[in-house]
Amino acid sequence: MTPLFLTAALVLATGLFAVGLFGLMIRRGILFQIIALEIMLTGPALAFVAAGAHHGDPGGQGMFIFVLVLAASEVALGLALYLRLGRHADVSDSDTVNLLRR
Amino acid sequence: MSPFFALLLVPMPAMGAFLLLGLGPAEFNRRAIQTIALAGATLPAVVMLPLGAYCLMGTCDGIQPIFDLEVGPAVVALALKLDPLSALVGVTVTIIGACVIGYSIDYMAKSEIADLRRYFALMNLFLASMLCMVLAGDSIIFFLGWELMGLCSFFLIAYHVTSARAIAAGRKAFVITRVADAFLLAALLLLFLEAGSVRLDDLIPAGIATDDVRRGLIAALLLAGAMGKSAQLPFHTWLPSAMAGPTPVSALLHSATMVAAGAYLLARLAPLMETVPLVMAVTATVGAATALFGATAAVFQLDVKRLLAYSSISQIGFMLLAIGLGQPEVAIAHFVVHAIFKSLLFLSAGDITQIARGTTDIAAMRGALRARPVAYLAFVAGAASLAGIPFVTGGWFSKEAILASAWLAGPFGIVLWGVALSAAVLTGAYAFRPVLVGLIPVKGARMTFGGVFTNLPILLLAAGTFAIAPLVTPMVEFLDATVPHPPLAVELVGAVAPFVGLALAFAMTFMPRISRRVAQARRMRSGIRIDGVYQIVFVQPFVALVRWLTGQRGSIADPVGTLPVMGAQWLVGAIVRPLAHDPLDRAWAGFASATVRAWGVARHVQSGRVRDYALAIAVGVALLLLLGWGTTWR
Repeated sequence: MTPLFLTAALVLATGLFAVGLFGLMIRRGILFQIIALEIMLTGPALAFVAAGAHHGDPGGQGMFIFVLVLAASEVALGLALYLRLGRHADVSDSDTVNLLRR
Repeated sequence: MSPFFALLLVPMPAMGAFLLLGLGPAEFNRRAIQTIALAGATLPAVVMLPLGAYCLMGTCDGIQPIFDLEVGPAVVALALKLDPLSALVGVTVTIIGACVIGYSIDYMAKSEIADLRRYFALMNLFLASMLCMVLAGDSIIFFLGWELMGLCSFFLIAYHVTSARAIAAGRKAFVITRVADAFLLAALLLLFLEAGSVRLDDLIPAGIATDDVRRGLIAALLLAGAMGKSAQLPFHTWLPSAMAGPTPVSALLHSATMVAAGAYLLARLAPLMETVPLVMAVTATVGAATALFGATAAVFQLDVKRLLAYSSISQIGFMLLAIGLGQPEVAIAHFVVHAIFKSLLFLSAGDITQIARGTTDIAAMRGALRARPVAYLAFVAGAASLAGIPFVTGGWFSKEAILASAWLAGPFGIVLWGVALSAAVLTGAYAFRPVLVGLIPVKGARMTFGGVFTNLPILLLAAGTFAIAPLVTPMVEFLDATVPHPPLAVELVGAVAPFVGLALAFAMTFMPRISRRVAQARRMRSGIRIDGVYQIVFVQPFVALVRWLTGQRGSIADPVGTLPVMGAQWLVGAIVRPLAHDPLDRAWAGFASATVRAWGVARHVQSGRVRDYALAIAVGVALLLLLGWGTTWR
């Protein structure tokens, strides 16, 4: 594992994170924002794996498993909210639910 | 008898005054008022005459202490003093006072009850204050009497309170004598500083013992005080105006009290005055000048009372002349004689003119011989004494003594003698004018006589003018002096003077051309308009100043009060008002409102939009990372 490879992996990870963040900010559909969040999570996950491989440490892969679990639970929660909002208020636009009391 | 009884003298008339006015709510009828007034006026004479007799027979040098006031280190020892001077003047004052107040009973009988009470109370108080001054053994009592007299004369001159003229005359008398009183007060205070005592017996030696400058100053101040009270040039203007008061007031004011007080003051302090030759010379000059001025102005008067007023000015001038020549005893003798004939003249003239429906023109005397013989003959006796008809009248003896003193006083004295002699000639002229007018018969005049209260005082005083004639020399000797005797020729000239005056009076009365000239001499009648000059020089600027101060001339009213207020308002406008909403306050208030506004702005951050929060979190984390990176960067 060469340092160049690590650098390339970290750049890719940052890019993934930035793309996810960008998507999260510009998309208004709740479903798309959950997808953007998933992309955002892959960035750090990739960085953990690359860093673990670079240092020869299995902790990086452990962290990847942890991120996967985190992403799974987050998606479960997010989709539950999405379904609830869709059913109850018939909205898929996150901006329209800025006031929770309504 | 002892000086102790002198203590009774002052309170008696004052008590009468108190009973009359002080018991205000009590109803008094006319008779009760008259009784109280008469008792207050005559009882002092009853006490004073034995005191005077005691003085004549025995040693006459009594001090009767009243009480001592301890004022810090100084002791104010109030006392009455009975010596030949105060005894003689006191006897005169009490007798004249009794006569005048007795006369008032008939004269004022038609007044309202309230006016009558006021009148008699003031007259009694007037008498009390003169006695207080005459018998004073210390400067405090003396000044008290002096000032009270000024106050009473103000009230009595302004007795006719509905007449603006009377009130103006009273005010004028008060203000002018007040100016002179200030001089007297200054002199007495300076003497007190020298002596450390208020007793006259201590003041005079202390004044003599001090250095020339202070002694001269004190003497000059005393002279100024006496001149104001005695209506001498240039303070004389109040006396002719004072005629606005009732005639008995004038009789008392002109003869025994008030105007004579100045002469008494100088006679009392004569030992001190005599140590300052310059002031003595000024006294004599002022006296002679006033005597001539008063006599000249009197010649041209058309009103009997004004004539008599100028006559008083002139006669007091004679007294001052004698004092200035170092003969205060002669001056006091003249004071006594003058008191008798001047009160007689006023009372009889008052009686005659009251019949003539109140007008006091000389013309009102017309036919008086027929209409009012008692008063007229008494007036003749008074006029004879005033003019100084030789050998029979008191006026001749005392005036002759004054002229003699002048003649014997060196070259300057002869000049004064000449002035005084011409004054004496003019005195004869003005004294006999009303007398001769009284001879002119009037058709249809009925002969009337006054009541007993009118005639008794007049007859007493008329007898007095002759009875006093042989007593002038004993009086002067009683005061420890001798009557000066000039050469016979000089005395003869003096004796002829009143007859020359009589001839002048004849000419003025019975020669129409001359009497018309006299009637037209308005400039002389107004006393060469000195009064008018004072009006322009003193009164009008003062009135203008007062008008200006009261804002009647478009100026600021009451600048003394208003200017500080305006200044304070300016300060408020210039300094306090800008600071009242001061920048610190405003900054705090602005901060508070800005915080509210800023909070309103800040609340927009909490938009509730997921995307906004995501952005904020991203930016925040990025910033934290940057911070972490920056702080760990090396």
